[in-house]
Amino acid sequence: MSLAILDAREWQQVVDLRTGRPLEAQGAVVDMVGALVDRHPFPGDRDNQSNDWVTDTALDLIAQYDPRFAFLSFSEQYYSWRYSPLTEAERQQRVDGAFAAVERFAQASGFTVVVVGTGDLVPAAVPVDLEGLDGLAVSSNWCAHYAGLYDLSDRDRALLAAHPGLERVVSRQDIMTLFDGRPGDEERLPESMAVTREGHFFKGTSLRRLYMIPQPSAVVPVSRNLGPVGSVTDIRAALLKLLETQKVALAFVEGVGCADFRLPHTACANGRGWFAYEPGDGQFLAISQGKHSIFEHNGGYRYYQDDTDSKPYPYSGFFTEIPSGTIGQAIPGRSIAVGNRSMFMHVLTGCDVTCECFARNLYNQGVMAVVHRQDKA
Amino acid sequence: MVRCGYCERRCPLGPESYGYCRMYYAPDGRVEERFPDKWCAHATARIETIPFYHAWPGARCLVVGTAGCNFDCRYCANAEVVKVDPAQQQDVMLDMAPEVLVATARKRDCRAIVFSINEPTVSLPTLERVAVAAREAGLVMGCLTNGYATPEATARLGAIFSCVNVSLKGLAPQFCQTYLGVPDAGPILRNIEALARLTHLEVTTPVIEGVNSHELGEMAAFLADVSPDIPWHAFRLLPEYKMRKEDYPSIESVGALVEGAGEKLRYVYFHNFIGSRWVNTDCPHCGAAVIERHSLGCGGDRLEAFHLIGHACPHCGGRVALRGFHESATAKETAA
Repeated sequence: MSLAILDAREWQQVVDLRTGRPLEAQGAVVDMVGALVDRHPFPGDRDNQSNDWVTDTALDLIAQYDPRFAFLSFSEQYYSWRYSPLTEAERQQRVDGAFAAVERFAQASGFTVVVVGTGDLVPAAVPVDLEGLDGLAVSSNWCAHYAGLYDLSDRDRALLAAHPGLERVVSRQDIMTLFDGRPGDEERLPESMAVTREGHFFKGTSLRRLYMIPQPSAVVPVSRNLGPVGSVTDIRAALLKLLETQKVALAFVEGVGCADFRLPHTACANGRGWFAYEPGDGQFLAISQGKHSIFEHNGGYRYYQDDTDSKPYPYSGFFTEIPSGTIGQAIPGRSIAVGNRSMFMHVLTGCDVTCECFARNLYNQGVMAVVHRQDKA
Repeated sequence: MVRCGYCERRCPLGPESYGYCRMYYAPDGRVEERFPDKWCAHATARIETIPFYHAWPGARCLVVGTAGCNFDCRYCANAEVVKVDPAQQQDVMLDMAPEVLVATARKRDCRAIVFSINEPTVSLPTLERVAVAAREAGLVMGCLTNGYATPEATARLGAIFSCVNVSLKGLAPQFCQTYLGVPDAGPILRNIEALARLTHLEVTTPVIEGVNSHELGEMAAFLADVSPDIPWHAFRLLPEYKMRKEDYPSIESVGALVEGAGEKLRYVYFHNFIGSRWVNTDCPHCGAAVIERHSLGCGGDRLEAFHLIGHACPHCGGRVALRGFHESATAKETAA
């Protein structure tokens, strides 16, 4: 059974991750993690201590748990760029800050740190408004570039074809073909998907004004110490090989592409064909599983359909099961994940112990730790 | 100049005088909306996220908002939308006529349209037109409001909305002046009494430890006098906006205060933090848990289990205050 430790600052609740029901859990790992998250209250998504929180929490967890693998995400700069009107100098300062937090982790932990930049952000133009369609357009809170389309009329198709903010509209079958889909894979795909041109975005459900948006990058940077990788889906195998000889951390620096990457790097493919991952859960999952995961997570399925009374995993977004085949599950040794990019880590990494910010729409609720495994020596 | 009749500020309006909320003006001697049919966002969520715990439990809703507010809460959670001049936001607003908004709600298989991001009083004519279209489509409407409307506007709110959650933030005039930017809570208390007669009413109190926590008992007593069936949501305040650097309230100590204060009310909740233990509805007659929920913090709560038979406790048969019936959201949509 996976346990979640919910820490709302000076107040903790341990629950069964699958049901969300409180339980009295004990054990050395649970006790250790509970004390650890109490020592590290989350400062907030856009707080300038947020990336240091990742480093501090990960180092503390390494000292307590002695893992062989760490999965980290550093995201303060990503949130600040999206939602704050920053100058270029301020933006570069935040890139430096993120890499400094990674470097501090590397120095203090002694781990070999493989760094991945998740792709560029570009200035936001006006949003693409598809509210007038006869059919339905769906984009998620974080999705800027893709929208799922349903029940389109002929009039809708004509409007979409002429829309100046759209790059293309693709069918479900186009997506299936591009990613070698098999029967049954299409369940979470929209009927069609609209793709914006650079700088344009779908407003999504967020209230906040966007200043920069993720521009899905055809290639993303991977630090050269991993060795040659051609695609984000190759990272997993290369990491597992590296882990045979050394302790390794995979660190995501969110919102940074090749131009701003501060380390020697390889540019590797960030998708397939016309599709490129935005920074976020779909990209994390593809890297963690070592395969494209668009059938599980894409930019426009009707996410709210999964929010039913009987939905399991209430703290895991719209995932109704924890994905299998993730990198943490493939590692026989101990593994941890720490991140400040929403509640991704426990879902997408499969690591034994994860600590992640519990923040929604930038509202800081605290920290959630998940203990998937307590049995590793 | 004419006086605005929507909120208790009763601002003078003219062709270029927009009042405190900046959402109304009087170009021809009549009060009109500046930005009708303009929405800051819409999202699909369950009704518990507003929060409504005693109205159509589990119903899927289209949550909407506009721009502007008639309060200046020091801790405003939506300041990036409501404290910015509405005119400066029009480039990113969605332009949706009432029929389009209602059609969107139907396409998403929603039971309700719920206005909960800013203050509905600042967009009342638009909401009245949406209400007409919603009624024709068989949808209900709900809202979250600060309750600082005029009696006339309050009557209109009561006519539009099948469920209303009033935010009762504090009682003392000094609190209202310092933390909300209004002289006193008198109009809010008056409107709570009025809305309780007009529609389904729930009340939310954002609790700031050491600031308004000492007033919880007085608030509960007031609500109990109106009706002991009013569901009362004590919210752990997450300080934002001008209070962003301030400490978070202690859950243990505020929880104890809420429990003590709520003894005269039948339905008392304490949430807005992950994993709250105070979100279930217990039968007021036998104490059995009859509606179970998860607290997911400010991202919203969700229904986990509904045990009532109609409005009756399955154990003792006692009545539980409820508007509407359980809406079990289907996993797959039907065509609109």
